[in-house]
Amino acid sequence: MSRRTVAWVALAAVVVVTLAIVAWPRGGKPSAAQRVQSVSSELRCPDCESQSIAQSSTETARAARADIRTRVAAGQSDAEIRQAYIDKFGPSILLKPESGGLGILVWGLPAAALVLGAGGLVLALRRWRREPHLRPTEADRELVQRARPR
Amino acid sequence: MKATLGVLALALGASGALLGVGTFAVGLARHDDRLLRVGRRYVFVVLAAAVLAAAVMEWALITHDFSLQYVADNNARATPLLFTITGLWAALEGSILLWTLVLGGYLAFTAHKFRNRATDPLVAWALLVGLVVALFFFVLTLGPANPFKTLATAPADGRGPNPLLQNHPLMAFHPPMLYLGYVGFTIPFSFAIASLVTGRFGEGWLAETRRATLVAWGFLTIGIILGAWWSYEVLGWGGYWAWDPVENASLLPWLTATAFIHSVIVQERRGMLRVWNLSLVIATFCLTILGTFLTRSGILNSVHSFTQSAIGPTLLVFLGIVAATGIGLIAWRGDRLRTPGRIDSPVSRESAFLANNLLFAALAFVVLLGTVYPLIAEALQNKQLSVGEPYFNRMTTPLGIALLFLMAVAPALPWRQTSRAVLRDRLIVSAWAGALAMVIAVALGARELAQVLAFGLGAFAVAGIARQYVIGVRGRRRATGEARPIALVRMVRGNARLYGGLVVHVGVVIIAVAIASSSAYSTKREVRLATGQSATVRGYTLTYTGSHTHRSGQKNTVSADVRIRSGGDDLGTYAPAISTFPNASEGIGTPSVRTGLREDVYLTLVSSPNQQGRVIIGVAVNPMVLWLWVGGGVMALGTAVALSPSLRRRTRRVEEPVPVAPPPPVPERVPV
Amino acid sequence: MKYRARWIALAAGLVVTVFAVVLATQVGTDPRADANKSHLLGQNAPALDLPTLDGGRVGSSDLAGKIVILNFWNSWCIPCQEEHSALADFYGRHAGDPGFAMVGIVRDDTDGAIRRYVAAERVPYPVALDPGARASLEFGTRGQPETYAISPDGVITGTRFGPSSVANLEQLLAAARGQR
Repeated sequence: MSRRTVAWVALAAVVVVTLAIVAWPRGGKPSAAQRVQSVSSELRCPDCESQSIAQSSTETARAARADIRTRVAAGQSDAEIRQAYIDKFGPSILLKPESGGLGILVWGLPAAALVLGAGGLVLALRRWRREPHLRPTEADRELVQRARPR
Repeated sequence: MKATLGVLALALGASGALLGVGTFAVGLARHDDRLLRVGRRYVFVVLAAAVLAAAVMEWALITHDFSLQYVADNNARATPLLFTITGLWAALEGSILLWTLVLGGYLAFTAHKFRNRATDPLVAWALLVGLVVALFFFVLTLGPANPFKTLATAPADGRGPNPLLQNHPLMAFHPPMLYLGYVGFTIPFSFAIASLVTGRFGEGWLAETRRATLVAWGFLTIGIILGAWWSYEVLGWGGYWAWDPVENASLLPWLTATAFIHSVIVQERRGMLRVWNLSLVIATFCLTILGTFLTRSGILNSVHSFTQSAIGPTLLVFLGIVAATGIGLIAWRGDRLRTPGRIDSPVSRESAFLANNLLFAALAFVVLLGTVYPLIAEALQNKQLSVGEPYFNRMTTPLGIALLFLMAVAPALPWRQTSRAVLRDRLIVSAWAGALAMVIAVALGARELAQVLAFGLGAFAVAGIARQYVIGVRGRRRATGEARPIALVRMVRGNARLYGGLVVHVGVVIIAVAIASSSAYSTKREVRLATGQSATVRGYTLTYTGSHTHRSGQKNTVSADVRIRSGGDDLGTYAPAISTFPNASEGIGTPSVRTGLREDVYLTLVSSPNQQGRVIIGVAVNPMVLWLWVGGGVMALGTAVALSPSLRRRTRRVEEPVPVAPPPPVPERVPV
Repeated sequence: MKYRARWIALAAGLVVTVFAVVLATQVGTDPRADANKSHLLGQNAPALDLPTLDGGRVGSSDLAGKIVILNFWNSWCIPCQEEHSALADFYGRHAGDPGFAMVGIVRDDTDGAIRRYVAAERVPYPVALDPGARASLEFGTRGQPETYAISPDGVITGTRFGPSSVANLEQLLAAARGQR
């Protein structure tokens, strides 16, 4: 193998290993604190404009964090906690739109648009490749030769 | 008296715009050059009128003339001078006035720049379109958004500006910068419409408006960064970007304008993508109007919320007309816009620009969809939903990573096509730099995928840019033997757009890395402290030493002194505060930030001293936030470099023909 | 296709029109409308157990079998101050009724400020404190003032967000009694 190829293969190896270390699913379930953090970052603080319960420092947000901590300790699942808050505050308490129903629009459309756009680009590139490359013929070269000043 | 003068000025502006439109229209219909030249003058009338109206408003503000409703609502006798002056754009009516002022300035500058081509139909149509937009905004100020409404009885003192707007001198700069950006896009838009109408689809209009687009883009970038800075340093919620509808409204035209800046280069070189570029320019302008509509109509929940007014429907109608005109024109001229251009290879710089556009378009789509989704849900299902940070972060992060990758690879891609071998040779060093950066990041403890990728690709990109500079200077020195600094300067000036653009990319990388770090590794805690008590957060020891109450004018401020120590070093005393104003029910928090190279210590006063003298201090340790602002500065610098005039090749003056061999050619651009 | 640009323009026009229609239908609506009605309407009221200002406690057991009007408020919110006289008036009319109870629950305020306000304004009805904002959270409050009416069998029959007049309060009371 040439040196150049070795360099690239080594690079690929380093990158793959590093990414594997990072992306490797960490053993064990998320801790209680992590669960509280993740659930509260997806729920809107009830008396704020758009901050999550995790971010806000209003008294309601602090009460909500304590409440979520209690619920997590009591063994409720993320979905159950979310539903409890939806029951109290309405669906606008969620910061992340639900995936079902109308949510397909907001989650699926961008992906669909990206795929369509990329597909369109690929098709266009293929079409351009298929168009004949104009190459000068002998007749063309003679024409140029005759036109050049002596 | 001032009100009459102000309204007269606005009426002058409106009639000037109307007459200008009429003159241009008739002159273009009849091919009458004289009328076209006359029409130009109305642009300056419009500017003068806008300046006069703004001056009258400032005069009213500074003299605290409370007979004007706008002054009574947004100013008080105790308001400091700076915030009195910035009161011009503190509320809706004044902002529209500012819009007309900036628009007048841009139009006048354009008219002046093209004064030698005043009879060119392209220029005439462009000015006509610009005047139509100006007319719309003047009509707004004369109707629903009249800043010169008077009160029957003038109150003794005004309400004063919103307390949030008085907290920081930055208030002076953020809105004008944004407006210099937004309004600037009117110019390329006008030229785009002009080129569609006149049928001159060549690249001329692009070249004319290139600088205007870049200037507007640069101001919009600075405006957005300043907004983020203000959000972080002043508003006190601890973050710099909330994906708030108004923030998104400023981001949308920025995204399409960035796509446009890149795809314009493809059109210049290959004559392709005409329809796409026209659509991008028209879309950018439409998005600025849409953004204003979303901000001002009150239909979306936002921190920036303004009260609803009749301006909402008016803006929507205008937006509809603009969009319909743009789409209609493209449909009309569609058959004549197609070009025989082609892209030779998927591995070429042209393809990279196409991919760039795809990604930016996808980003804009995501941000737009997320912002208006609550409206769609309300319209279709009568449900009120919110879309917040989790959605936007999840959707935009992969696109951002992909763009980082493109930034790293594209500068090494040659135009037209290349062989894999060439590409591999060019990229190997930068790619290794990226890989090493990733390894170091992971070794130092980074474990979030997006963050590690951001570091790696960022290093990859910066290494590639450094390589461009080094090779360019080296090539130039080989040809001319100049000293390094001189070669560098001359090389940059020889292709200012490329090298300035690369500097902007460096700024973007810095910002991307800062965002990745601060979003993954911020720590936030609240500590309850009595006087003299300390708490430790992430290695910083915070001691509450006491609180002060301070009254100044209308503001009553309670601040808590906190001394920060780290590993024995005293980092100083910081004082987060809560201010209350008589006309607002809640206190406005002011954070106190210890900015560090590596991380910030962000203090907020969550609750003032209670009966036992205890306070609750919010402590956040945010990594790398300083680099957001540094990156913004680098982007501004790069834009300035890109705008600097290119060095033209000086023709050599030869006294008499001397029979010597011709000098070695000095390459204007180093072929890369 | 020769007129491809026209088809694309047509499609774009369609999308933009739909978009504009959606926006147009929303102009004039209040994005905060959701925040103005409670989602607990018709459901059982959450259990209460709060300290009162005079050192005692008030709980669901004390309020069982009565019509309860709960008012969430605090001393610094201006609409709360505006509705104070209406609340006092309303309480005065019904205080003698053994089947009636009214509690003002303070959320998001400091002890000293509450006592000063209650003393200065001579709040006649019992005032309960909500340390830790647990009750506020249970009731799904979003701000103040908010008034809840609970029927004798513990169902939330009416809510009102924002300052109330005496007429509003009487309406809530009537709804809780079962009279429409």
